[in-house]
Amino acid sequence: MRGWRSLLAKDWKMVVRNRILLGVLIIYPFLIMGVIGAAFQETGRPVPVGLVNLDEAREAGSLWICGESGSPAGWRRTLQRRAEDFVAYASGEEALAAFERGEVDALLLVAESSGGEEWCGARIANDRLEAMVGDLEDGWRGLRYYATAGEAESSLRDGECDAALGLLGKAYPYLAETIWLEGENYDAARLLRDFSRDVMEISDYASEKEALADLRSGRLDAVIVIPPGFISRLKTLEEVAGVKVVIDQSNLVKAEFAETGIRGFLSRVSERVVEEKMRAVVAGLYVLVTGGDFFGTQVVGLQEIGDNLRSIRDAVADRPELAGLVEQGIELAETVVADIEDAAAYLRGTALPVDLEVTSVAGRSLAAKDAVVPSLVALSMLWTGVLCGAILMVLEDEEGMRVRLRLTRMGPFALVGSKLLLAGAIVFLQSVVMLFLAVAAFGAFASSMHLALLTTALTALSCIGIGLVLAAFARQVAGAVILSVLVTFPLIFMTGAVFPLSQMPHFMRVIAHAIPLTYALEALSGVMLRGESLADVAWRLAVLLGFGVALLGLGSALVRRKSR
Amino acid sequence: MVERKDVTKGNVDEGNGAVISARGLGKEFNGIWALKGVDLSLERGETLGVIGPNGAGKTTLIRVLTGQISPSSGEIHCEGKVVDPARLGFRMRIGLVPQEASFYGRLTARENLALLARLYGLAGEEAAARTDELLQWSGLLEHSRRQVRFFSRGMQQRLSLAMGLVHRPEIVFLDEPTSGLDPEARSAVWELILRLQEEGRTVFMTTHNMEEADHICTRLAILVKGEIREQGTPQRIKSLLGTDRVELRLSEERQGELEELCSSLGIYWKKEGEAYVLTGVDLPEKLPAIISRLAVGLRDMHYREVTLEDAFLRFMREVEG
Ligand SMILES: Nc1ncnc2c1ncn2[C@@H]1O[C@H](COP(=O)(O)OP(=O)(O)OP(=O)(O)O)[C@@H](O)[C@H]1O
Ligand SMILES: [Mg+2]
Repeated sequence: MRGWRSLLAKDWKMVVRNRILLGVLIIYPFLIMGVIGAAFQETGRPVPVGLVNLDEAREAGSLWICGESGSPAGWRRTLQRRAEDFVAYASGEEALAAFERGEVDALLLVAESSGGEEWCGARIANDRLEAMVGDLEDGWRGLRYYATAGEAESSLRDGECDAALGLLGKAYPYLAETIWLEGENYDAARLLRDFSRDVMEISDYASEKEALADLRSGRLDAVIVIPPGFISRLKTLEEVAGVKVVIDQSNLVKAEFAETGIRGFLSRVSERVVEEKMRAVVAGLYVLVTGGDFFGTQVVGLQEIGDNLRSIRDAVADRPELAGLVEQGIELAETVVADIEDAAAYLRGTALPVDLEVTSVAGRSLAAKDAVVPSLVALSMLWTGVLCGAILMVLEDEEGMRVRLRLTRMGPFALVGSKLLLAGAIVFLQSVVMLFLAVAAFGAFASSMHLALLTTALTALSCIGIGLVLAAFARQVAGAVILSVLVTFPLIFMTGAVFPLSQMPHFMRVIAHAIPLTYALEALSGVMLRGESLADVAWRLAVLLGFGVALLGLGSALVRRKSR
Repeated sequence: MVERKDVTKGNVDEGNGAVISARGLGKEFNGIWALKGVDLSLERGETLGVIGPNGAGKTTLIRVLTGQISPSSGEIHCEGKVVDPARLGFRMRIGLVPQEASFYGRLTARENLALLARLYGLAGEEAAARTDELLQWSGLLEHSRRQVRFFSRGMQQRLSLAMGLVHRPEIVFLDEPTSGLDPEARSAVWELILRLQEEGRTVFMTTHNMEEADHICTRLAILVKGEIREQGTPQRIKSLLGTDRVELRLSEERQGELEELCSSLGIYWKKEGEAYVLTGVDLPEKLPAIISRLAVGLRDMHYREVTLEDAFLRFMREVEG
């Protein structure tokens, strides 16, 4: 190692005097940290969601039901049959104008087998229209609801459906019903708003088209379309209420946030509804026992019936055959009461069979910004370490000094040693500053700072080792930088930094475990986020050390061989 | 040609008193021999210049002799004994000025020299003193605080020279020390090399510049395609390879006579436009005979002393043709 100190001092001067190098190696990682840190500072904000509520009272305005009818012509005949007045139109404009003027109550738009489309309208009694809506909602597949004729038309033209029925909003049955939950009455809009508090920031849209436009432009992260009759279906036991959710999946993180938020909200609604329905059923069952209002009918309770039967039995005590029959009634009443009590207890238990309690292994619930810190630190170390190791070493070639140095008394490891020390110092100090910044300035969580620093120190070895190995394959700084970028990017994606390892195919996991950064990330997130102790991460640290020593050894050997 | 080979042989056989001598040195790169059986010796105190076209193997020869790469065949002797030039003992005796720029551009001249001084094992004060000495020697003292990348090529080359001398080596290898320099900078470097000779150092240098070879080197070797083709003093090389030349013009009717005469006297001639150019080893002795025979009809005549450049170019034409 003779001469390492002079070389170290020389390298430091060269880094400080080279603005680009200074920027790339020292300032750039902090910039990244600052930008990402600032971005994640804000996470946990409500997801902007557009709401198209078709389940609301609409005096004016139309409602369009689209779907795969199977036989457009058949539905056309059905309408004709049920109508008081039936008109076939030559064009869409004509049909819509008539609809707007109130000349017809319903419009049917069907795709013709020849590829064109056909419009017809009908004056039709409300009850008949309702019946028809019921029929087609049962018969059509892939139902979609739209607030405007334009949307229905384009859906038909895109081949998503082969028929569309337009009617005045108010003619749709079961519209804008309310549901009783937790002592309050909710319509669809209020349900969404109240149950999605903190998670979603809801803006109202009159049509899906407008909402989708804003989704595309990035103003919204998701669009929720509530179909007409949603609350009505929610209330009935036989039917399943559906909502349509459109998410912008072009950005995975954004999509993840939106989907999680919406799923969470919907499951909360489902839970409440199921609970409420169970409560109603249980209450109903109790009414059978105690008597009272049983879903709208006054009934006499089984207990009272039992008491009455007992009085009868006492009164007919002298007629044993009658008393025996009455006794049967009493027994039945008693059994049923006991069964109802059992059933009610069972139902109450089934309403919410699982009580979910989510806590973090860190012992404190973590925000997105906490979770991102270890990856960020590890990635920036990889970046700086590889570049630093490679550039410092290749500079010797680029400056043509390797030849001269080899002739001096410099020790065989002085060159590699001085690079390792300087690069190590830069990388480690960078991780120290990053960690402290993350914790102090951004309020990120780190359960053990000491262990985190130990991990980063060991990580630095591997990163610089990779850099030295790359340095053996380049003769100029530009080449070294290109190589570093080529190598670092795949490494980043092959570790668990971007996608969770558990979601990767087996061979990717095998590859990931041949990369030191994977262990660095696991150890770092272990000691920072999972509250792991030194004993827990010891083996990972040992692997990191092993990688570090091996890579540095390889790098040093390759670099020395290259200079021969 | 036979005579020339003898000259080469003779020099090597005397190589026992040489500081460094190469015996059958060869170097192969991926199946291509950049050096083929090079026999060459470097005598103490001389300045040996190796001249040869691009790709001849000059740099490779220096790299082998300074232990940067090991030879594929042959051996290197130092004072009669086989030596591994990569060994520290040998390394301390030699200094190297590589062909390519080699210094830290973002360090100052002083910092560059001081770093090497430290790496050559000089202690703090000693290193500083040696650095000052070399700055003085290379005339860079007043620029010693500027980053070297802002230096002119000439200044950089002077620094490069100084950097090869930090440990006072007795043998200095200079690989094309003046290539790419303007005449002024070139003569400044020559100045320094001549001073090295005065100090009694042995210099091994390569060059493309024949003026330089003639002016600086005490002995020359011509390297072509990895082989030493000629060796000797510049004077000897000139006389071996080329000769003085005479350019003359004469009336047309005498031209046939001239050509006949030249053939009979063994004088090489060719026609360049109107003029005849005559060359030959012993031209000076034969010239009077020609002049007396052709005095009538001789219009004009120029006599030009041969330059090493002429000799080299002619030699190369011979080698290639
Ligand atoms: N490391 C190497 N690998 C492969 N071939 C090489 C290597 N070094 C030199 N050569 C080849 O050996 C031959 C001699 O090269 P060398 O650099 O010694 O020539 P040179 O006389 O110094 O030329 P120049 O005047 O251009 O400096 C060339 O053909 C070159 O391509
Ligand atoms: Mg060369």
